[in-house]
Amino acid sequence: MQYFRSGALAGLALGVAVAAAPAGARAQEITLWTLNFANDSANQAFRSIIDQFQAANPGVTVKVENRGVDEHKSALRVAAGSDQAPDIFFSWAGLGLGGEYIKSGLAAPMDKYYAEYKWDDEFLPAALSFSRQYPGGRFGVPYTFHGEAVYYNKALFAKAGITSEPKTYAELLAAADRLAAAHIPAFTFGGTVNWHVMRLMDEILETECGAATHDALTNMKVSWATEPCATKSFEEFHKWTSKYFLKPFMGIDQSQSFNLFLAGRAAMMVEGDWLVGQLKGAGRLADYALFPFPTGTQRLYGFAEYDYISSKSKHPDIAAKFLDYLGSTPVQQAHLGDFGSISVNRFVKYTSSEPMDLAWQRIFAEYRSTFVNGDQAFPLAVTTEYFRVINQVASDRLAPKDAAAELQKFISSAK
Amino acid sequence: MSGGDRWFRAPGITRADPVLVILWVALIAIAVIWIAPFVFIIFTSLKANSTVMGAGPFAPPLHPDWSNYAKAWMRGRFATTVLNSAVITVVKVPLGLLISAMAAYALSRIRLPFRRALFLLVLFGTMLPFQVMLAPLFTLVNRIGLINTYVGIILPYLAFGVPYQVFILHGFFRDVPRELSEAAEIDGASHFTILRAIFLPLSLPVLAALLILDFVATWNEFAMALVILQDNGTWTLPLGLMSFQSQFSNDYGQLNAAIVMTVLPATIVYLIFQRYFVSGLTSGAIKE
Amino acid sequence: MRPRRMRLSVTAQGLVLLAPALLVYCGFAVYPMLDVALMSVMKWNGLTPTWRFVGPQNYVQAATIDPVFWVAFGNTLIWTAMSVVVPPLIGFALALGLNQNLPGRGPLRALFYLPVIIAPIAVATIWRWMYDPFFGLFNAALTAAGLSGLIQDWLGDRAVALYAMFIAYVWETVGFSMVLFLAGLQGVSRTLIEAARIDGAGRFATFRYVTLPALRPSITIVLILSIINSLKAFDIVYGMTQGGPAQSTQMLAMWAFTQAMQLGDFGRGAAVSMVLLVVTIAIVIPYLRWMLRRDATA
Repeated sequence: MQYFRSGALAGLALGVAVAAAPAGARAQEITLWTLNFANDSANQAFRSIIDQFQAANPGVTVKVENRGVDEHKSALRVAAGSDQAPDIFFSWAGLGLGGEYIKSGLAAPMDKYYAEYKWDDEFLPAALSFSRQYPGGRFGVPYTFHGEAVYYNKALFAKAGITSEPKTYAELLAAADRLAAAHIPAFTFGGTVNWHVMRLMDEILETECGAATHDALTNMKVSWATEPCATKSFEEFHKWTSKYFLKPFMGIDQSQSFNLFLAGRAAMMVEGDWLVGQLKGAGRLADYALFPFPTGTQRLYGFAEYDYISSKSKHPDIAAKFLDYLGSTPVQQAHLGDFGSISVNRFVKYTSSEPMDLAWQRIFAEYRSTFVNGDQAFPLAVTTEYFRVINQVASDRLAPKDAAAELQKFISSAK
Repeated sequence: MSGGDRWFRAPGITRADPVLVILWVALIAIAVIWIAPFVFIIFTSLKANSTVMGAGPFAPPLHPDWSNYAKAWMRGRFATTVLNSAVITVVKVPLGLLISAMAAYALSRIRLPFRRALFLLVLFGTMLPFQVMLAPLFTLVNRIGLINTYVGIILPYLAFGVPYQVFILHGFFRDVPRELSEAAEIDGASHFTILRAIFLPLSLPVLAALLILDFVATWNEFAMALVILQDNGTWTLPLGLMSFQSQFSNDYGQLNAAIVMTVLPATIVYLIFQRYFVSGLTSGAIKE
Repeated sequence: MRPRRMRLSVTAQGLVLLAPALLVYCGFAVYPMLDVALMSVMKWNGLTPTWRFVGPQNYVQAATIDPVFWVAFGNTLIWTAMSVVVPPLIGFALALGLNQNLPGRGPLRALFYLPVIIAPIAVATIWRWMYDPFFGLFNAALTAAGLSGLIQDWLGDRAVALYAMFIAYVWETVGFSMVLFLAGLQGVSRTLIEAARIDGAGRFATFRYVTLPALRPSITIVLILSIINSLKAFDIVYGMTQGGPAQSTQMLAMWAFTQAMQLGDFGRGAAVSMVLLVVTIAIVIPYLRWMLRRDATA
């Protein structure tokens, strides 16, 4: 399949170049490495965006290679050591994951293109903020921007007698107690993928520590061992895993947990805005609603996904032109909802009347700043240890009061 | 083979032995346990997701849902992975056997300097765990620019297949009577000719056994492929299955259909060539 | 007689025959082994062009600050200890049984050996699905039998995950031991057994004094191969738990891979690899000497 398709593409490009290209133009191919698309509509959207871009730019071919998360990371590692690098590659924004490739020189600075295409005027400021975090210039351009919140099953909330969405952490706990009284587990999580359960821990840290201290902790500027809120967070976290989770949860992954959520086995999930699309795919939009996790800090839990131009690209100008096209208002407007509920482009108009889409628009409009997932803030080795400590606490193998010190022990020795 | 009327008799005893009957019943019971996973997998592969989540695991699929296979074939990109596995196996297995036979012949029939040391080096390789060398293998293949290529995976496959095959063939060639090759040597035939005309035809049963064993080993290999074949266009069947499991773990019917399709080719080869497996495995390890 | 062409000396012919196998073996098996030793005293993240020499630091860090290393080490020991006892014992029992005059023994042998030829990653996937806590075979069967109190989070509970994984491994490897023992049993003289029985030796005495001594070499081989194969456990861990929950089923081969290829710390990964390599070699070398002695006397 793969071979026939790329062969056909190359043949097509050649045909276009010979027949229609202005004199001097040669067939140019840029490759884009990104993750597997979460749903088929994203797949089709990408296909049509590329077709239109190629039609508007004779002689240019855009080739997309999709991979799973781990394969994508390994492939980039290969690319760093060889000349097989793509022209554009996907990575999350932030010092933890995207920063690794910038440090190693795989990403090229894009200041020139920021000026040329005036991206600062075009994209959401919150989504853009990550591009300024890196030393040595501006890197990457926003591709999507995601928020995470609490989705809940309306029928189960009603059954437990919960009449309004929790506005504070105390109300959320009270809701969990009411659900427990009705023999309904509050949350379902999938423990085999470590980052799923982590989301709850991140939210609780934000709640207990507040914005400034939480950031200092994830940036490893203050000690987890001496910051009382870190230990308090682990204790709160353990309260949830021991009393309010659908069990067992360590042996399933996030998609299995979503199955159980659909089957009404638990009342809530901490998920991103993409879940609206998945619920729509399952034909179950009407049964669910969402609210932001009540951290009390007025920061949105979320992250940006970026596309970076590779330092090894032979056609960086074309790559930048494609990224500009991808983020442009008409394209983003036409494919609204295909990649996420919210567009990175600030001029996009939202017309959906679906209540959960409206909820997301309200959230994105209301929150000015964000805090990112733990695995995107920490360096990889620390992330692995963070996962391990969280899982130890979740499976009752590590006393919550010792957890923060355990994590700090690793951070201190790794420095 | 004993005739049906002589079952359950111990050697030298003419009556049916009750202990053997009990033993037989126990073996059948264990066999039922052994076969249960296969039954469960096949049943699940024929059920829709809602049935999997509703009915019991051993409820036979009364309305088989064959579409799981078609869907898993598409989503798991089986057309690509089967082709890749086939190309890699078809090139690697005969090539590896050829170079192993050549080396085994040289080590067993030609007086070479350091012959014993070389043999020991090869013998050592039969036990070498390549699992500890995944990272250096990756960097090596990456450095020579062969990541995501057939050649890049076939070379390490050859390297880790050679020792066992050389060891087995060495033992076999060594025991070939001298007279057989001496006549040809006097005739002035080169060692290449002797290997081709005398030794290879002579060792066809051993070669067949090694061929089958190596086919299955290559077809099933996962760890090296994981580090060397990063591009999903070059993935082999085991990589495809692993990716399917992580992406579509909640589509139970399709996941199990994917398992069945992955396992089927090796199973068929095994059922056809069963006796070669036993002889290939045991000729090296145990000879009395 | 054919006319003599220009021809190579006998030694040259030998080298030509030997060269392809030797080159590919040295290049892609021996060299990476030396490379792993070198890498283990270097710091390298897999991205930068150069390595930095750090001496024994990777080993020291693995032993002192890496919270997973000793878990992986202990699990590898437990796993190896179990692998050297359980599958060979079951395999031995099956081989003894299937060596008797029993109907259907051919198909039974084929069935017990079948899991050996299935891709290990598929075995992992099969068992992972059977262990699914909500819809898998085990928990669904326990529920149906009214034993829902025994329901486990098979691969999610660290008290049982390693052993749950091991049961899958037993299913996968018993056939291997069985076949080797069956081959060994072919070598046990039938006349000797018949003679012993006619002399009035009991079932157990015959087994103890005739069969068992004759099986000694087979037993050694099966035990050594079981140890070596168990040290290599990788596919099954990768496919079933990836070392989780909370790294509690981590093993050395998998942890070396994770450190290097997923966390980008090639030096630390290589140090873990070296530990496993040294343990393996310590077992392999005496075994090879024993094999060579047998080979010489055969």
